[in-house]
Amino acid sequence: MDDFQAGEETTFVVDDVSTVIKESIENTIGGNAYQHNKVNQWTSNVVEQCLNQLTKLGRPFKYIVTAVIMQKNGAGLHTASSCYWDNSTDGSCTLRWENKSMYCIVSVFGLAI
Amino acid sequence: MEIVYVYTKKRSEFGRQCNFSDRPAELHVDVVPDPTLTTEFIERNPCDTAIQCTQEMSEHEVNTERFETESRGINHVEGGWPKDINPAEVEQTIRFRKKVEKEEHYINTVQQLGSVMEHCIKQNNAIDIYEEYFDNMEVESAEEPPSAKTINVFRDPNEIKRTATSLSWYPDGGKKLAVAYSNLEFQRSSPDTSFDSYIWDIENPNKPELTVKPVSPLVCLEYNPKDSHILVGGCYNGQIAFWDTRKGSHPVEMSPIEQSHRDPVYKTIWLQSKTGTECFSSSTDGQVLWWDIRKLGEPTEKLVLDPTRKLNIDNALGGISLEYEPTMPTKFMVGTEQGSIVSCNRKAKTPAEKIVCLYPGHYGPVYSLQRNPFFPKNFLTVGDWTARIWSEDIREACIMWTKYHMSYLTDGTWSPVRPAVFFTTKMDGTLDVWDYLFKQNDPTLSIQVCDEAVHSLRVQDNGRIVACGSHSGTTTLLELSSGLCTMQKNEKNLVSGMFERETKREKILEARHREMRLKERTQSQQGARQDEEPRAEDDEEKELIEKAEKEFLRAIEAEKKSLEGRQVEEIEEKEKASEEESEKPADDPQQAED
Repeated sequence: MDDFQAGEETTFVVDDVSTVIKESIENTIGGNAYQHNKVNQWTSNVVEQCLNQLTKLGRPFKYIVTAVIMQKNGAGLHTASSCYWDNSTDGSCTLRWENKSMYCIVSVFGLAI
Repeated sequence: MEIVYVYTKKRSEFGRQCNFSDRPAELHVDVVPDPTLTTEFIERNPCDTAIQCTQEMSEHEVNTERFETESRGINHVEGGWPKDINPAEVEQTIRFRKKVEKEEHYINTVQQLGSVMEHCIKQNNAIDIYEEYFDNMEVESAEEPPSAKTINVFRDPNEIKRTATSLSWYPDGGKKLAVAYSNLEFQRSSPDTSFDSYIWDIENPNKPELTVKPVSPLVCLEYNPKDSHILVGGCYNGQIAFWDTRKGSHPVEMSPIEQSHRDPVYKTIWLQSKTGTECFSSSTDGQVLWWDIRKLGEPTEKLVLDPTRKLNIDNALGGISLEYEPTMPTKFMVGTEQGSIVSCNRKAKTPAEKIVCLYPGHYGPVYSLQRNPFFPKNFLTVGDWTARIWSEDIREACIMWTKYHMSYLTDGTWSPVRPAVFFTTKMDGTLDVWDYLFKQNDPTLSIQVCDEAVHSLRVQDNGRIVACGSHSGTTTLLELSSGLCTMQKNEKNLVSGMFERETKREKILEARHREMRLKERTQSQQGARQDEEPRAEDDEEKELIEKAEKEFLRAIEAEKKSLEGRQVEEIEEKEKASEEESEKPADDPQQAED
C-alpha cells in the first residue's frame, strides 16, 4: 500500500474518476427527459465519453465502464458487485445521478496494469 | 471507438506476483420502489402495433390487372312481391295489397313517414335553399399561373403501335373522340399492323367504344358537324370512305381506287351545304377532290394545285393541310408539302382561276392551317420550326411569327374561345400554349405531353380540353386552367388592334420593297445608257457600308476600352484595400467609410 512511484499514480483515485463520470453524464443527458427511442444512444454515449476521458488521464489502468439508465416510474433497483483483485492498486467507483424522469448509474472498475 | 494508450513498464516488473485479495460484495445502487411515481404515467391500453409479414422493400409498384367492364342496362318490369304471389295474376296482387294495407304496422309506418315528409315540404316551402343566390356576381379572374393537367390517356390497344395522325371531337358536347391511326413512315409498317381506327368515349380509356375498320389505314377522320353519326375518313391508299356509327364498323361506302387520290389523303373537311353530305379532300398527289357521300362513285369536282395555273399535274404541289371556314364557303386554302400556301376560290369560272394566290409559307411542309375563329382574315400556319400568323391581304410575308424552335412543329390550332391563344405541338413531345397578348417570345405554357413526338392536336369546342395524339398512338387529354379558356376583358379589341398593327407594318414594308425594286429597275434601264452611274451608285453604297462598319467597330473598341479601364480600377482598389487591411487591422471602421 505504500508503493508510490514518483511522478506517476499507480493507485485508483476515486475522486478523479467520479468527476469524469459526472461530466460525461451531464454532457449526454443533462437536461433531457426520458425518451425510449433515445435511451440506447444515451447509454452508449455515456460509456464512450467516460472511457475516453479516463484514458486521457494517462494512468496505467484497465477500465471497465457500465451504465444503466432507468425511467422513474416507481420501480426499485438494487445492484451489487464483488471483486477479487489487488486491493492496493485497483478500485471501483459508482456514481448515481438522477433528474426528474430518470436515474443513471455508472460504474467504473479500474485494474492496474 | 479508437482509443490508444501507450504505457511503459520496467522489465523487472514483468511477471510480478499478483497479490490478489477478495473484496466482498458491495452494494452500488439501492433505489427504493416508489409507487407514487406511477401517478406520473397513464396506462395505454390497448397498444397498437402494426406488423406486416412481407418483404421489406425500398420501392415497389403494384398495378392491378385491367378489369374490362361493359355498361349494360336491366329493364326491371315488376318485382318485390313475396314468393307465393304471382305478379301476373291481378287478383292475387290486389288481395295482397288489401291485406297489407290493413296491417297496423303499415298504417303506423305511413303515418310516421308522412310527418317526416311534411316537415321537409314545409321547410322547402319556407325557404328555397337551392335558389341561385349570387346570380349577378361576375366571375373574378383568378391570378393563378396557367396550367394544364392530364385527365385521360388512351392507348392504342394493338400490339404494334401506330401514330395517332388525326383527331376529331364528337360534334355535340365532345363526349367522344375519333382517332385515326396509321403509320406514316414510308414502308415502315410491318404486315401485321392493324388497320383499325377507334372512337373513344372520353370517360372510358380502357376500351374504345367503336372500332372503325377501313380497308387501308386511315390518315384522317372527321365527324360530320351536322350529323353526329357520320364520319368520313381518308385512307393511306388514297381512297375516301364514310362510316355510319349506327351501322357498325365497316364503311358504308368507299370511293373507287381509280377515282381517288394517288397518295395518302392527308386531310378531309366537311363542307357547309344544304344536304350536309359534301366534303373535300387533299393529298400529296397534287389534287383536291370534292365528294358527295351519297355518291362516292366519283368526285364531284377536281382541282389540280398547279401554281402556274396550267393544271399540269406534274408541276402540282402536294397538299398536306386544308382550311375551310363555314362562314366563307367559297374560299378555302391548302397548305402544301413544298411549304407554300395556296388560297383558292371554289366558285371561279375557269379551273385556272380557282387558284387565287400563293403565300410563301414555310421551309417545309405546312402541317396545319387554320383561320382565327374571331378574325377570319388572319390565319395560323405551322410548319418547319416556327408557327406563323398571316393576313390574307399581305401576300409576301407573314405578319407575326414565333421564334425558331429546337424541334419541328407538327400541328397547331387556334383556341375556339380566345382569339389570342393558339396551341402548337412539337416533335419532342411538348404542347405549347401561346397567348399572344401576354407574351410573344415564348409560349405561355409548355407542357411535356409524352416522351415521343406529338403528331396531332385538337381542341374541344369549349376550348378547355385539348387532345394530343402521339407517335405510338397514345392520345392524351389535357384540361387547361380557366385562365386559358375564358376570354379576358377587351381581348377582342386588343387582338384586332395587334393584327391590324402588324398588317400595316407589313404593308408598309411591302410598299417600300416595291418602291426599291421599281427604283432598281429604272436605274438599270438608265444604266444601259450610262454605264458609270450605276457604278457610282455602287461606289456610294460601298462607301456607306464602309462608313457604317468603321463607326460600328469604333463604338465596340470604345466600349471595350472603358470596360478594361473599369476592371483595372477595380483591381487597383481591391489591392489597396487588402494592403490597408493587412497593415492596420484596427482601422477597419475608417476603411469602411472610405
